[in-house]
Amino acid sequence: MESITQERPSTPAAIHSEPVLDSSPVSSPKTGRGIEWFTHWSIERRVLAGFGLVFACIVVISAISYRNTAILIENSRLDTKSHELLQLLDSVREALGAAESGHRRYLVTGDESYLASYRTVVERIPEYLRYLRGLTNERGDQQNRVEVLERLIARQLGAEAEAISQREKLGYEGVRHLALSGAAKNELEGILELMTELDSAEQRALLARVTQSAGSTNSTIVLLGLGALLQLVLLGSVYFLIHHDVTERRRVAAELQSRGELLEASNKELEAFSYSVSHDLRAPLRHIDGYAALLSKAAGESLDEKARRYLQTISGSAKQMGQLIDDLLVFSRMGRQDMLRTTVNLDQLVKTVLHDLRLDLQGRTISWTMHPLPSVSGDPAMLRQVFVNLISNALKFTATRSEAKIEIGVARQNSVEAEVFVRDNGVGFDMQYVDKLFGVFQRLHRNDEFEGTGIGLANVRRIIHRHGGRTWAEGALDQGATFHFSLPLARSLR
Amino acid sequence: MTTVKPILLAEDNPRDAELALAAMEEHHIADKVVVCHDGAEVLDYLYCRGVFASRQQGNPVVVFLDLKMPKVDGLEVLKTIKNDLNLKPIPVVMLTSSREERDLAQSYALGANAYVVKPVEFHQFITAVKELGVFWGVINEPPPEGSDPIE
Repeated sequence: MESITQERPSTPAAIHSEPVLDSSPVSSPKTGRGIEWFTHWSIERRVLAGFGLVFACIVVISAISYRNTAILIENSRLDTKSHELLQLLDSVREALGAAESGHRRYLVTGDESYLASYRTVVERIPEYLRYLRGLTNERGDQQNRVEVLERLIARQLGAEAEAISQREKLGYEGVRHLALSGAAKNELEGILELMTELDSAEQRALLARVTQSAGSTNSTIVLLGLGALLQLVLLGSVYFLIHHDVTERRRVAAELQSRGELLEASNKELEAFSYSVSHDLRAPLRHIDGYAALLSKAAGESLDEKARRYLQTISGSAKQMGQLIDDLLVFSRMGRQDMLRTTVNLDQLVKTVLHDLRLDLQGRTISWTMHPLPSVSGDPAMLRQVFVNLISNALKFTATRSEAKIEIGVARQNSVEAEVFVRDNGVGFDMQYVDKLFGVFQRLHRNDEFEGTGIGLANVRRIIHRHGGRTWAEGALDQGATFHFSLPLARSLR
Repeated sequence: MTTVKPILLAEDNPRDAELALAAMEEHHIADKVVVCHDGAEVLDYLYCRGVFASRQQGNPVVVFLDLKMPKVDGLEVLKTIKNDLNLKPIPVVMLTSSREERDLAQSYALGANAYVVKPVEFHQFITAVKELGVFWGVINEPPPEGSDPIE
């Protein structure tokens, strides 16, 4: 005995602790943090993250490609400038050479035609220099060289002009020492050296740009390839997602259909069931009641009071069960039968219900408080059942009161629905049983207190739910009860 | 005294049959009632065959027909009666426990003259059966024998 009692409490504890041991702490180190949070994400979030990543990559690639292309364009502009510069340097070199040889020939021969050609060359030089400045304005080192060059050229030309004027004044003998080597031999050497420097510096810059252009062309090609690949991935995933979505929708539609068929089949089964209930269960009840009546008729005289009461009880029970079956069938039918949707004037409906219940009202003192009710959208027969049940209940549970007070009205109303209530000052109920109130066969009173089958409020709830409304109740023992339900308003009132 | 035309009661349940007879006894029409216990027997009676081969010729004044019966059920019997020119004039009253709309609709569609749901309560039951018996067996004028409106 003891061992059993000791073991017992430990088992539920063990079962209880198992899932705690089994869960996340064991699995998380295996999967790793990075994947774990990703798997926790919803599918939408994951798709969004993936698309965002691919999109960002495409943006970066596009930006880099744009920059590379801009570099290429800039380089090609600079290349053109460089080539012009190189050509110009050649022209300058040629022009300076021509000036030098021109002035020397004049110095030797004194032939004026040499002097004229010398002067045309000299006239062109400032223009060349201006070009030179323009072509080097973007590079400091070259510009410095050009400045030095300008000074040297000015000195060369100055020296040559000096020599020419001396030749004119003094004749050949005066400039004899200059005629062989030229007036500005040193300057010319410096100029040529400087121009070679200019030349090679420009060539180096050209070469560097060629390398840079080739590099950015390559990287652009690679990046564009990558971008195309990413776009393909993007397109592929879009296709996959759409395809997945469509298949999923189809699957859901097929499932819905098969479920609908199942539901229809089970509804048919239910119908067959309620049919046999209505037919087969009633017969024996009729016999019980019938034979009890026949017995009391045949032997009533010879039976004593007790035996007659027994027979009455048999009849009463049979009748009660018959009522139960009928109510149950109505309840089952309420769930199955097709529902009308028309405009129902609740004021009118309550009036007809009270007229139908007039037999129950006989001999009762009832103070009615009727507030105006709206028109709602629904099935008139079903809604009539709702008011019959609620008003009958109110009448039933106020039977012990000397004056019954019943109030019907609207507690709240918005543009879509109205909340109707039926309040009485009857025996009420304990709020702790409020959940049982609307259940099938749920009763809060003994049958010898108040008769009933326990289906009325279940029917009310079923009907209101089918109309898309809600039901609830409040009350207190011996303080009366209020039953609420909401209904969609008639369309014309919205 | 002319021969009394019988009331045909088709009821498979002997207790229901007995209760119905008890009810009719109060109005002294029980001796007019012929009870059949299934659909096949009803058809045998109507066509004077089987155990009813030697019965007196002529149609019953009314047929009370239960829906659920062994062998041939009420709706089939109803169909046979209403499809036979000789039997067609016989008033047929469905007397059943079923309140199902489908049964009501089918019965009327097949030509039932009335449809009565057996009440559970005995007093209501005997009242219903008595009134039915009196109305169809006594008050209602049955169609003339052998008449054929088409001929």
